[in-house]
Amino acid sequence: MAEFSTSTKDAGDINVIYLKGYLDAHTASVLENTLSDLIDKKKYSIVVNFKDLAYISSAGLGVFMAFIEKIRENNGDIKLAGMSDKVYNIFDLLGFPLLYEIFKSEDDAVKKFNETK
Amino acid sequence: MNLNSLKIYGMEIKTGVKFQLFLGLTILLFIFRLTVYMPGSIVLTSINELLVLLIFTSLYSYLLELVRAKRVNPVSFVMSIGILNAVIFFLLTFADWILSSLITKTEEIHINQSIPANFLSFIYSYLILSSLAIMFLAFRELYFYRQKRNVSTYFNTMTVFFALTCVSNLLNKVIEPNFVKGTFLIISVMLIIINSIKISWIAFSVKKEKIILLVLSIIISILFFTNFAGVSDNTHDQVILQFSPVLNQFLKIIMIYGGIYFSILFFTTLFHIPTAEVYDRKAREVLFLQYFSKLIIESHDFSELAETVTDITTKVCNAEAAWIAWKDGEGFKSLANKNIGFYDSNNITKFIFDSRQDRDFSRSFIFNLKKFKNHQQLSEDYFHFAAAPIRAHNEIKGFIIAAKKDDLMFDDEDRDAMNTFSDYASVAIENSRLLEESIEKERLEKELDVAREIQRKILPSKNPDFEDLKISTVFIPAFEVGGDYYDFFEVDETKLGFVIADVSGKGISAAFIMAEVKGIFESLSKTIERPKDILIKANEILQRTLDRKNFVSAAYGLIDFKKETVSISRAGHCPVLLVRNNIVENLRPSGIGLGLNFGAQFVDSLEEIELKLQENDTIVLYTDGITEAKNKELEDFGNIQFEQILINYSLKNADEISNKVMREVTLFSQSSPQHDDITLVILKWKQKLKNDGDSEWQNSAPQLKTQVI
Repeated sequence: MAEFSTSTKDAGDINVIYLKGYLDAHTASVLENTLSDLIDKKKYSIVVNFKDLAYISSAGLGVFMAFIEKIRENNGDIKLAGMSDKVYNIFDLLGFPLLYEIFKSEDDAVKKFNETK
Repeated sequence: MNLNSLKIYGMEIKTGVKFQLFLGLTILLFIFRLTVYMPGSIVLTSINELLVLLIFTSLYSYLLELVRAKRVNPVSFVMSIGILNAVIFFLLTFADWILSSLITKTEEIHINQSIPANFLSFIYSYLILSSLAIMFLAFRELYFYRQKRNVSTYFNTMTVFFALTCVSNLLNKVIEPNFVKGTFLIISVMLIIINSIKISWIAFSVKKEKIILLVLSIIISILFFTNFAGVSDNTHDQVILQFSPVLNQFLKIIMIYGGIYFSILFFTTLFHIPTAEVYDRKAREVLFLQYFSKLIIESHDFSELAETVTDITTKVCNAEAAWIAWKDGEGFKSLANKNIGFYDSNNITKFIFDSRQDRDFSRSFIFNLKKFKNHQQLSEDYFHFAAAPIRAHNEIKGFIIAAKKDDLMFDDEDRDAMNTFSDYASVAIENSRLLEESIEKERLEKELDVAREIQRKILPSKNPDFEDLKISTVFIPAFEVGGDYYDFFEVDETKLGFVIADVSGKGISAAFIMAEVKGIFESLSKTIERPKDILIKANEILQRTLDRKNFVSAAYGLIDFKKETVSISRAGHCPVLLVRNNIVENLRPSGIGLGLNFGAQFVDSLEEIELKLQENDTIVLYTDGITEAKNKELEDFGNIQFEQILINYSLKNADEISNKVMREVTLFSQSSPQHDDITLVILKWKQKLKNDGDSEWQNSAPQLKTQVI
């Protein structure tokens, strides 16, 4: 099975999650854990960087849906950034751009967070 | 010497017969003695001795079979020798008192005795004879017990010399003094000593038995010597001599044998006593290891194994308590506590691993609670401990810990024993883990079987067929069911609804959602016509049941045969492809996947398009299993290749197109595993079958143009 890993960066109030490898039904739990850890620490401003993500399956997309409600209830948000065209296309087909803010780069996403504060 | 079966006239005599023989000979002897017996006659004396010998042998072989039938402990042989010896002692002691009143000094007169007197002396002699038979048997069994080599020659030689000594006793009156008898007796005694030294069974007795033996052997040995001294020149001597001089001599020899044997046994046991504990301990260890290795094979229940480990540990190490400290996250939890409360064991475990971080925990170790401050908190004052790690998968999973109170410390032996047990425990735990894994794997496979079965039943078993519309479908499930679904609904005579959907996730959960989605579309298609309305309603219904992280991408279409139109609405699914005039159009009305949003956003996002159908139009529905099919280099099959094939074969009929697509996909992915379900639905509208159609497109190079609406 293809590998998947996450790493996080604490940029003040905003936390960035870096995704790497293949995010599918088997590896979705890794991202689930990362996100629930942040929520446990009451970090609700999250940028997800897709720069190194090679593939995302429907189960991978579902992870974001599982947490977004709780995060938005706490005046936070998940913003997505750095997607390759292929990954963006998958998000786009499902209509994610209507539900999430998707940015070209991580910086743009962080900037957006700072603007709204 | 084979005494197991007595052979007379070449016939083997059975156990029961041996006893009957014994009884018969007894009666014969009694009658013989009453009637014709004359002590002076050599012939008659020889007959008398022969009869006595036969009686003795038949009794002996009868008893031997009785003993052989059951396993008898050497200690019980010793006990029986002791008891019989005591019987002989009493017989000797009271012989004068009982017999003298009836039997007059019989030096001269042997025959002129009353029948009761004769009978009594006969009984008396028989008691002696039986006791001797049993004792000799017991000695023989003791001698052979636990002998590893074949030592029967020594014993048989000794028996032969016993016999010679006894028979030569008859010569007493001929040769004076009897040198022959003396010589045989001395050789017999030497053989007795040699044979008595070979007491090997004592080593196998446990300490308790050894102590009993020590006491018994000294008493029995003294008794034997006392009896030996008692067998001379008294009424007993006369009665037995009169009965059989050979038997009398045999009695003396057995007394000597017993005296020597038990003296040697006493000293041997004495020397074995100090090592008895060590022997006991090793024997116990071996026994428990045997038991334990059996358990490992038979039982895969972790808690049962854990209980056994602690139970055996306490016994082998002579510990008062034991438990298993099992790794649980950062700390340890206590398992299978034996003679210690969980509160105590948890506290002590915590103390060990908190206080001695520098310790090498990969090997067994001994420690005490000298530095433990909260002694008064513990309900029992265990002080010395030994611990050994339990490993599984090269990782320390926990420790076996044994505990003793105050004075007695654990030694290296205990530690080594614990190491052995922890190794066994490691194997056992690894075994049960592997078993659990394989059960889990099997369970998953069963689950996937169920999921595939659900999927197979949900998908339409056969496609509808119309004059204007030909339909071809391909569905190839992935090993882990991917949750693809397609269906057709004949709304009325002029309208056909069709749907394709892909449930997020895999396996049985995806299969269940699929079943639900089928139900929803099946019922909605009967009441609602417009694709967009159906999707809006479907989303509403799914809100009630769908998990937040699950969603369904779907595309719903309606073909109106009368108006020759197709309307399509899409909720997050791959675009519907329309192949027309060598161009693939991506029909991609906007729309969010079902289950991603349950508010106005979903409704607002949803579009519906309507197209007029033209001759030879091909409508292609698919799931990402096709475009994301991977080759060995993990490259996608991709939209471009897919569309190219559709263009290349756009003039073929529906079945041909789907076959061509699947062939290309299969060729592309070759041996790479299929990760997702593959679904392909080809709808061919009013195909005009041109005879020259094939050559036509072959000559004109097809152009790839995709257009997004």
